Parts: sequence; structure tokens; C-alpha cells
Amino acid sequence: MATALKQFSVALAGKGVLTAAGLGLSPLQRAVAANTGNLQRRDCLIGKTLQSVIGGFVADEITAQLRAADPANRASRPFLFAAAAAEQAVADSGRILGAIPAARRGFVLSTTKANIDVFDQLAAGQPVPLAAQRQIQPAFLATDLAVRFDCRGPLQCVSAACVSGLLALQQGAACIRRGRADAVLVVGVDVISNFVLSGFNTLKSLDPEGCRPFDLGRVGLSLGEGAAAIVLVRRELAPAPRLLLTGCGTSNDANHLTGPSRDGAGLALAIRRALAASCAAPEDIDYLNAHGTGTPYNDNMEALAFRTVFGDHIPPFSGTKGITGHTLGGAGVIETTLCAATLESRLLPGTPRLRERDPVAPESLLETARPAAKLKRILKVNCGFGGTNAALIIEREQP
Amino acid sequence: MASLIETLVEELKAKLIAGFRLEGVTAATINADMPIFGGGLGLDSIDALELVAILEQDYGIVITERAVANKAFASVRALAEFVAANRA
Amino acid sequence: MNGEFSILAASWLGPEGYGNDLTGLRDWPTSLAEQLQRGDLNGLHWSLLSDSDPSRFLRMDLMCRLGFMAVELLDAGFDTMSDVRREHTGVCIESFTGSLDTDIRFALTPRPSIFTYTLPSTVIGEICIRFRLKGPVLSLVPTAPGGGDGPAEAIDWLQRGEAENVLCLSIEAMNRSTANSLPLPPELSAAGWHAAALLLGPEENPSRAQPLTAGPLADIAASRVRAPCRNALAISNRQKIQCG
Repeated sequence: MATALKQFSVALAGKGVLTAAGLGLSPLQRAVAANTGNLQRRDCLIGKTLQSVIGGFVADEITAQLRAADPANRASRPFLFAAAAAEQAVADSGRILGAIPAARRGFVLSTTKANIDVFDQLAAGQPVPLAAQRQIQPAFLATDLAVRFDCRGPLQCVSAACVSGLLALQQGAACIRRGRADAVLVVGVDVISNFVLSGFNTLKSLDPEGCRPFDLGRVGLSLGEGAAAIVLVRRELAPAPRLLLTGCGTSNDANHLTGPSRDGAGLALAIRRALAASCAAPEDIDYLNAHGTGTPYNDNMEALAFRTVFGDHIPPFSGTKGITGHTLGGAGVIETTLCAATLESRLLPGTPRLRERDPVAPESLLETARPAAKLKRILKVNCGFGGTNAALIIEREQP
Repeated sequence: MASLIETLVEELKAKLIAGFRLEGVTAATINADMPIFGGGLGLDSIDALELVAILEQDYGIVITERAVANKAFASVRALAEFVAANRA
Repeated sequence: MNGEFSILAASWLGPEGYGNDLTGLRDWPTSLAEQLQRGDLNGLHWSLLSDSDPSRFLRMDLMCRLGFMAVELLDAGFDTMSDVRREHTGVCIESFTGSLDTDIRFALTPRPSIFTYTLPSTVIGEICIRFRLKGPVLSLVPTAPGGGDGPAEAIDWLQRGEAENVLCLSIEAMNRSTANSLPLPPELSAAGWHAAALLLGPEENPSRAQPLTAGPLADIAASRVRAPCRNALAISNRQKIQCG
């Protein structure tokens, strides 16, 4: 039977999300339907000066609400955001997760900088609770979250730049395939911090007016923050109709560290590996959610990669970072959550904040949201610093 | 004015050597009139950004346009003149 | 633990010394030994292992330098490996301290050349660029220094045919002075330093291949280097990395 040959036989049993659009999947889906961007302007500390920045910020009211509900963790926004998303995912999974013994529940975290937020306070000699300090270390953040959600099975933490999220989903699925867990709670999170703003600022990669993926006039990216969580379970444990995670592929460009000479060959290789892992052909992909950061180089390179794999038949695709910003370690899980919601709603996202399509971007770029005639299989891709690439396929079990 | 520029030339050469970690390169081996980028020092686009950061942090000069950078980075001497004219 | 796949090469760098599974553990040169034992890593230089151009090494941060040295020290014939084999060589790294040393340096002096290294996965990029490796990649954060599932991941890739060889690395790159510059939780400031590499794959050179034992990568590498195989057929021709 074909399913036995696929890399993974794993179902998505629950999901939850916190983004610039708001807390939960509904505000995110409303933003998709209305094709609105959710980037906001704020004055942020970059180094030692306040600068005006456009980013995908989590609303202050939501952060305040989360802190009030969990004062013990008020000094760690990554913990609060991740827990908020995980709670939704656990609730969304209904009785499935609860029926699985704690020792058979695994946990995987994806994050690039964890609680790097507290660096400034530590450097200034201000008091920071020990738990929040320890969460600078991503695996300690993972451990604390696993304890909160009573996942006593295998624990892993992935930190691989912007592909962390897709790798974390891959690892969660692998854990189930290897028989070490029956369910895995996969969480991705990152926050906008002085540290990361400062970094992208020194690279001059930020668009001062906000990112415009695949736009002719694009000049850079916008950072975002938030979290998402997906409960993966052994396929048999989820009721029909199932959403399945069937394959993942990774690669490294082996070319240039930060990007200018990337020809898309690395990403194309990762996509081909994901297709092979899912026993799928390029024409089996009904929608592609791009990495689409909005930098001139990234979006160009992705267009090349898509052409390499799909030739003249590139599936409908879009870049949704106009809603969320680039959430780094959160991106893979946040954007896969959006893809899972898309499989359910059958409304393909457009590319919010796009004004004029760059002719280099294939014509199948969706500028606005559009109902899908046929929607079985979605391909999600991300590309990271250091030349890493990842691609992941989720699909409806029934057409 | 001429000797101020010469002093800046030597100062900038030292910063380039340190900032780009150019081992085996001394001030004497950097020609002040050759292009900084594409002039044989083996520098890349990150190094160009590094130089922008050095100008901001060490001289208080903020460059926002590529055209300005291209002109200032034409040579170490051009850079010295740019710094002398614009330093905070 | 696994019958089909072997350790094809192992290397180790740490306070006590450095070496691979052919040379055994050697002492650091006297000029460096004391600093390295103290945790001051600034004196590590490329010329210890190779006469080739150090310019790339000099631009890297401490974590990448250690990773680069561990792979070079493997003396595994990467330079003569076929393109096909490179395309199917995966890289898996694990690091508890990750890029923290570089993160602290960046926070002190925010420069673009430093920022690119404030991620534990950048070392994968540097290694893949140098050796043109295009297999699967993974970057994990264990809950203790030197701990991690790297070899288990590698075996899974090998068994499923997702890679023909896997380069596994464990790197802890915290310089003593950086660790002391910020009040950090003790697990981080006392993590110490090391770089360990294993090349895993199907056995091809019986005089060098060793069975893969269970346990954390760092421990496996350390024990392979401490009990080297001094088989005459396996001695390297490389000038700098040789026995005795």
C-alpha cells in the first residue's frame, strides 16, 4: 500500500497559534481572507537607541494578558507565547492527546534565540529570575515547556536558523515513526528582541516601510514574533478525515553563507527530497507556501528554485510574511499551521502587502486569497542563514 | 588638511586590517588609491556592511544610500576624505 | 548498537589535547597548553593542523573554528571524495552552549560579520561550503554539554538511505573570558569547551573502521581518540596530522 512507502505516517491532531494577527487561528484566517498585512510600526531599542521599526509584533495587550495569567513566567515572553499556542493545540486535539500516557508524549521545540530578550537586563546588572535566565538556553526552555504540558517522552530542541520549525516537525514525525512516542507536541517560537533587530539592522536587511514579498519594489524583510504548536500523532490515533504530514527534505546550498550568489539549487534539492519522501510528483502539489521574506535575493532565489523543480507548471503559491513578519524559529511551525488551516478552509492565502508583482516571480503567484478548486497536498518551504533549506508536505488523506 | 587625510588613511588602513581580519596584510601593502572592494583584498558584501558599521560606530557617520557608499569606498584615500568631511 | 554502520573516523579537541582515531590524543604545543586548559581559546590557529590558506578560518567565530578543526582533524579524505558521495553526506551538529560566546561578543560590538555567526547552525554552512556536502542537515540543542542524539539521528538517515555518510559534530565553544563577562546560569558558564567529530557510514576500510557504540557523540569520539588504532595500513600521509 502506497502509504507504507511514505517517509511519515503521522496525523496533525491539533494546532494553535499566536501571531501579529492575534491570539488563535481565527484572527489569522480573517487576515488571510481579507488579505491584510498585520505589520505595525513601533519604536524599538536597537543597540542603545530607539528607532522606528515595522514588524509583526504580538499586541501588547496580549502579552500583558499572558503575563497576568502566568506571573511566574512573566520574564520570558518565549515561554508565554509558546505555552499560549500549545494550550490551544492541546485543546484542539480533544481527547486524543489526553488518552496517551505522558511517557508516550514527546516534545520538540524550535527556536533560534529563545529568551535572548534578557541579555540587556543581565548586562545592565538588573535582576532577572533564574528560570528566565536559564531559558536563554533553548533546551532548558524546551524542558520547562515539556513539564508544563506533561510530555515525558523524548525531548528534542532544534536550533537551525529559519528552517528550525520545519526540522522540528520532521523530528516530531520521526520520533513517532521510530516508535518512541505516540504523540509529539511540536512548538516553534521566537520573539522580536534588541539583539535580533540589531543584527538584521547591521546587515541592512530590514525594509523600513515593511516587507513586500515578491514585490518589484521590495527592499528587505520585517521581523515577526509569535508561536505555533502542532500535535502530531500516529495516524491510527486520529479520526478521519485526517490531515497527514507525509515527508520532509533538507539540504545545504554549500555555496555562500549569507546568500547573494544562491541559484536556488539547494532549495530545489530540498523540495525534490520532500516530494520523494511523500511519494509525490511536482504536479501533485496544489499550493506552495513560500519562505518569501521580501529581501531582493531571497525571493529571487526561490523563484529560481520553483522553476527548477516545477518547470512551467509552478503550483499556485504565495508569501504570507506580510501578515506575520519573519518569525525565524517560529516560522516553520506558524506557517505550517496556516497551511493546515488552509487544507481545512480550502481558501488559498494571497500575498498581503504586495503592490506590484516582480516579473521574476512566476505568474502563479496568488496576489489575493482564492478558493481552491482542488486541494489535497500543500508544500511548505523555508530557507535559512548559512544556506540551509527545508521543505515539508502535508496532505488531506481524502481528496 | 593634507596631513589630516594622511593620518586618517593610516588609521583607516589599521581598522580595515583589524575589522576584516586580514592576516599577513600590513598598512604598507595596502595601496591607498586602489579600490577597497575588488582591489585584491578578497573582501565580500558582508565586509562592505562591516565597513558601514565601523563608520557608524567609530565616526558617527550613517550611510543609507548605496551610491554614497560606492563613492566613499572607491579607495582608502577616498574614504579618508569622506570621513574627514562627514565625521560627527 | 548497530551492526551495519561504523565509525569511519573520529576526532577530538579539548583542554587535555587533540587528535583522531589514528594519532591518539596528543598534547597541545607548550605555548598553548596552559591557556587552553584555562579555557582561553584565542590562541587556537589553523596552522596547527594545516598549511593551507587561513583566511576563511580567521573570519569565522569560535564555534565554527572548532568545528572546522574537528573536521580537518578527522583526516577522512574529504578532499578526494567523489561528488556523488558528497551529495549524499549529511551533517548533524549538537551544541549545548551553541553560539552563546558569539552572541555575547555581538551584544558588545554589533558588527554584521559577527551577526552571521550568532546561530549554532552556521557551522553547518561553513563545513558544507568547504567540503561541498549536500546531504540532509540537522542542528540540535541537548540539555547538557556534550550530550545529544546525533549518532542516533545519523543511523536513522543511513538505514533509510537518506544519506550514505554522516558527519556528526559536538561543539561547545565558550571562551572563559566571554563566560565571565555576563552573569549567566552556572550550567552555561561552567560548560567548558570541546569539539568532537565522527564520520559514520558503511565500513570500507577495515583497518580503520570501528563499531559504533551507544552513548553521546562526545564520549564516543573521546574514547575512540584515546584508544587509537595504530594499524600501519591506516597511517595518514598528511604532514601535519600524523602518528608519532
